[in-house]
Amino acid sequence: MTVTDMPTTRRAKRKARRAARHAEAAQILPPEGVPLNLPIASVGVRLGAQIVDLLITVVCAAAIILLLAFSGMLGVNGFTALASLLFFIIRVPYYVIAELIWNGQTLGKKLMKIKVVSHDGGPLSAHALVLRNLMKEAEIFLPGTLLFSIGSGGFLGWISFAWVFMAFAIPLSNVHRQRLGDMLAGTHVVHLPQPMLLKDLARDVLRPRPTKKAAFTFLSHQLDHYGAFELQTLEQLLRAQDKRMEQAAFERNRATVVSIVENIRRKIGYADAIKPHEAVDFLRAFYNAQRAHLEQRQIFGERRQDKHYSGSNDTQGGQG
Amino acid sequence: MADDATLMRSARFRAEREKDWKKLEDLVTFAEAGGVQSLSFEQSRDLAALYRQATTSLAIAREISLDKALLAYLEALAARAYLSVYAPQERLGGLFTRFFTHSAPQAMRRCWPFLLAGFACMGLGFLVGYLLYLENSEWFYVFMPPGLAGDRGPDASTEYLLSIIYDDSPEASGLGVFASFLFSHNTRIAIFIFGLGVFACAPAILLTFYNGLAIGAFYAVHVERGLGWDIGGWLSVHGVTELSAICIACGGGLRLGFAVLFPGQKTRREALRIAGRDAVKIAIVAALMLLAAALLEGFARQLIQDMTTRYVVGWGIGALWLSWFVFAGRSKS
Repeated sequence: MTVTDMPTTRRAKRKARRAARHAEAAQILPPEGVPLNLPIASVGVRLGAQIVDLLITVVCAAAIILLLAFSGMLGVNGFTALASLLFFIIRVPYYVIAELIWNGQTLGKKLMKIKVVSHDGGPLSAHALVLRNLMKEAEIFLPGTLLFSIGSGGFLGWISFAWVFMAFAIPLSNVHRQRLGDMLAGTHVVHLPQPMLLKDLARDVLRPRPTKKAAFTFLSHQLDHYGAFELQTLEQLLRAQDKRMEQAAFERNRATVVSIVENIRRKIGYADAIKPHEAVDFLRAFYNAQRAHLEQRQIFGERRQDKHYSGSNDTQGGQG
Repeated sequence: MADDATLMRSARFRAEREKDWKKLEDLVTFAEAGGVQSLSFEQSRDLAALYRQATTSLAIAREISLDKALLAYLEALAARAYLSVYAPQERLGGLFTRFFTHSAPQAMRRCWPFLLAGFACMGLGFLVGYLLYLENSEWFYVFMPPGLAGDRGPDASTEYLLSIIYDDSPEASGLGVFASFLFSHNTRIAIFIFGLGVFACAPAILLTFYNGLAIGAFYAVHVERGLGWDIGGWLSVHGVTELSAICIACGGGLRLGFAVLFPGQKTRREALRIAGRDAVKIAIVAALMLLAAALLEGFARQLIQDMTTRYVVGWGIGALWLSWFVFAGRSKS
């Protein structure tokens, strides 16, 4: 409206657009044809996993070198060459074999709960895993070791620096956070989702004293005020009621619930007053009725995203 | 009021299927801990069936349910099950055998023009380096990376050169250092050549050519003193394998660069992905050859002091490589 409002709305729009792009990127279409959401792992998390893996391989290499040194098989002059060679020989198969055995996870990735998946939703092929890990050598380790061995000065040093910089810039510049090896192999890295089934609130209401309580009844026009967003916010609030609370928190929570109940009552025009100790029960009953109502509407093809649905409905005309 | 929940479609939907979801969750956890191969026949059958069922449930729940917890759970469960069902299903042993008996030689044969081009780059470089050195020995310092050839430049005496070629006590001479350095240097070169091939072939060709130049000049130093056959033998032991590995790495890089330059009907990224299938196998072959070369260099070269034997061993191993590429993995018919 005013001039000062403009940038914030534009920024909000851009933010929304970016969020939509990221949500779309997180979708994978498996052969079954039901899109799955696997959130893309960020560069920072992957770097963490990488550091863990690096530590593991370095410790292995160091152990072997110590063993060789104590057994006296090691001359002094070939020491650094042998060390770097050993590190290389352990590192390359480690990544490939670990990701093959543990289905796209190295130990570091297991720790960080991330995982390599195929970009097109198909199975991970051995070829893809080998390719992405060999490219990692060329992408990061080769210029990295050059950078360490040469130091920052010199022409070659600058080239390696630019190379490492590029290797980190490429994942940041695409939505899937793919590095060059990922692009070639057709993979990207995702967070492992943790399935946790919370109880169904709609069934929960049955258990305590089903008949003794005065039932709350809602009329159909009273349920036309809210959409899915409000319903799911209410769901969150109700789930939080089951937690054990300290006395102070309990008081605060009760005050919040009572004020929410008042708001809802005013909005939907519910005539009877609600006593404070009945407030949560009222909310549960309202949740049930509202959910049943909204789901019913949804089956008939009318999705109500939030309480502003009626406004958008008018502009779009009959989308029955 | 009590019937409300049982009447609600989404709650009924969940109640009917919850047991199967839990079962799938247990199966997935089991499969993730021990790998899919640890499942029994019934378990793996159930895993596949329950997974498909869970994806269907997810699709339905997205339509009929507004229960956020249920949706999140089904999303996560279906995704986890998907990752278990579509895991790589090859055993490591089988993978190795297939690589050596089939896929590697077949990839080499498919890419023969690129490999030939790689060898041509190196050969041309060698020829140019050789001829330029004979014209003016100062070229040696232009081509040779400082430190790589040790003291063996145009200023070294013939006796010194000969003493390094036929050396009875390798430890004393620092040849061991040279060996390990040369190995790491050439490995690095091979990786560079392969990786840089992506950038439209040019860096791979230039680097291979340059490598050829250096070797040509190095060879010419010895030919000038009449040590041509001796240095040939010295180089043959490991060089046949090592230089071939570099040429092969160049061929793999060219395969990638070619896909970038001439993607045909596909997009460049897609073409690169397809070219990568063969190129990676070629790169692995090159890496194996470099490893073999390092072993030859570290042990065989010091052990074998006779010139003829050196030629026989070096080129014999070269012939073995060639026969692997040419004859392995052909179908019976």
